[in-house]
Amino acid sequence: MRWSRIVENRTALTGLVITSVFLLAIVLGPVISPYGPAGFDFTAVLKAPSWPHPFGTDSFGRDVLTRVLYGGRVSLMISLSGVLAATAAGVAIGMYAGYRGGLFDAVFMRAIDLLFAFPAFVLALFLMVVLGFGVVNVALAIALVYLPIFARIARNMTALVKSDAYVQAAQVMGQSTPRILLFEIFPNISPPVLVQASVAVAFGIIIEAGLSFIGLGVQPPTPSLGVIMADGQEYFRKAPWVLTLTGLTITCALLGLNLLGDGLRDLSDPRLRLRER
Amino acid sequence: MGQVLTYAGLRGLGALATMLVGTLAVFLVMKAAPGDPALIALGDFATPQAIEAFNAEKGLDRPILSQYLAWLTRALQFDFGESLTVAGGQRIGDLLMFRLPNTFFIGALAILIALSVALSVGISAAVWRGTAIDTTATSAAVFGISMPDFWLAYILILTFSIGLGWFPSYGFTSPSDSLLSALQTGFLPALAIAAPMAAVFARTLRTALLENISKDYVTAARSFGFNKHFVFVHYILRNSLIPFIVIVGLQVRYLLGGVVVIERIFGINGVGSLMIDAAFGRDYFVVQACTVVFLAIVLTVNFIVDIVCALLDPKRTR
Repeated sequence: MRWSRIVENRTALTGLVITSVFLLAIVLGPVISPYGPAGFDFTAVLKAPSWPHPFGTDSFGRDVLTRVLYGGRVSLMISLSGVLAATAAGVAIGMYAGYRGGLFDAVFMRAIDLLFAFPAFVLALFLMVVLGFGVVNVALAIALVYLPIFARIARNMTALVKSDAYVQAAQVMGQSTPRILLFEIFPNISPPVLVQASVAVAFGIIIEAGLSFIGLGVQPPTPSLGVIMADGQEYFRKAPWVLTLTGLTITCALLGLNLLGDGLRDLSDPRLRLRER
Repeated sequence: MGQVLTYAGLRGLGALATMLVGTLAVFLVMKAAPGDPALIALGDFATPQAIEAFNAEKGLDRPILSQYLAWLTRALQFDFGESLTVAGGQRIGDLLMFRLPNTFFIGALAILIALSVALSVGISAAVWRGTAIDTTATSAAVFGISMPDFWLAYILILTFSIGLGWFPSYGFTSPSDSLLSALQTGFLPALAIAAPMAAVFARTLRTALLENISKDYVTAARSFGFNKHFVFVHYILRNSLIPFIVIVGLQVRYLLGGVVVIERIFGINGVGSLMIDAAFGRDYFVVQACTVVFLAIVLTVNFIVDIVCALLDPKRTR
């Protein structure tokens, strides 16, 4: 997909701009901010939003905006690594199943369907209980929630393109299966995978926030977006800004990712239109 | 019709098989989980003899597959054993029976809200495509899918409970006690769960409608001189309903996730809040039972969706 086409598509462009602004903010923000993520200041506890503290302060007098920027890094890294793992494993399994067909395809796709039968958040919650709380396990839970989706897309797309002329040509030339999958099939199925990945990262951030919000995900003092909201929930009536502004930031950031996903979807072949979310 | 019945039978068998393998998977994963139920029930300082006696009594010393079969036989009779920590000693089946109606009520109310919003918004956006109505609806929908539902819950509490005082911010009256109070206490939680779903539904419906509007059979129907509304309802809407219903079915996966968190926020005694409490209390059997219940709900809904789609479009049964 060429850059010029992304720029011409207004939805994709808006999404790209919003996403870039947020990325820039979480990369540069903590560097610019005069506060630290754990900088206690007991003279400024639960202060309402103001110029020195645009998002106010929390019960330890910590600057909420600074914490959101640090938390954004943590949450994005968790979601990204989870989705990346799901994409790598899901696409590998799906492509192989779609290409081979037969019994392997049937058995593997049944197993994948099984994962898909569990409600996403319930599956994540179940895994947190089994694996224990913490950053790595949240990423793992996100990966398992998304594995079936990527595997299905890759499998169905591979089944569509595997009898195309360029694949047959590669087969006739005697190329090995991994080579064909990687160099012939993968480039041709990557657009829908990419679209799904951008939406998945957005929803992965919601999963992280949800798990950490109820206390089963990332554990304090590590600031993640969910942890900050869980914090704010404790004194919600006294200082609603901690929770509401953190959530608003998540919403705006995900708006960017979702718009980008929508735009990319429009740009890729309309035949390949995928399920929402 | 016969074809649809055969299809339903096959789908039903498939769902049962998934349920069987799904429960086995949950069972095995629970077994592999750290934490010894005997130690949890008896405390860390239990004597080896007591642990052995406990394991023998609960059948935990038998081979794993026979343990699973014993568990399954009892689960089929809705007997999931006793809660260890959350509601010490209470039968899990009774706990679920008490809480399931609340979860169903909230879930059904959420679906109802989401469907009514999505149908009106989705249809308006497609009919007045490209106008301000369409732009507003599509933007609102992207916003809707970008919101974490638990954040929306707090925004609703802030506005409608703390600000306006129209709804309570915490607590839930079971529909079996008073339907009216249940509606009043359940409205905000249902709305919080419904909003992201409504957004997804409306987007799908709009896309499906727009796809069908430009189809040849619609042009043909128009050229026969059929009334505009007739063509819309019988040709465009009817054919758009299948992808719509499929998405509604798929979203149940997310709906149940939303229910879990929202129940906790609003203090609703449902299966979701039970699962969270059990997760904190390391009450493994309760977590297991809740997971199985949620799995069963998803499979049942998927089954119903498959049948409805088959009835709408018998070609799908082939």
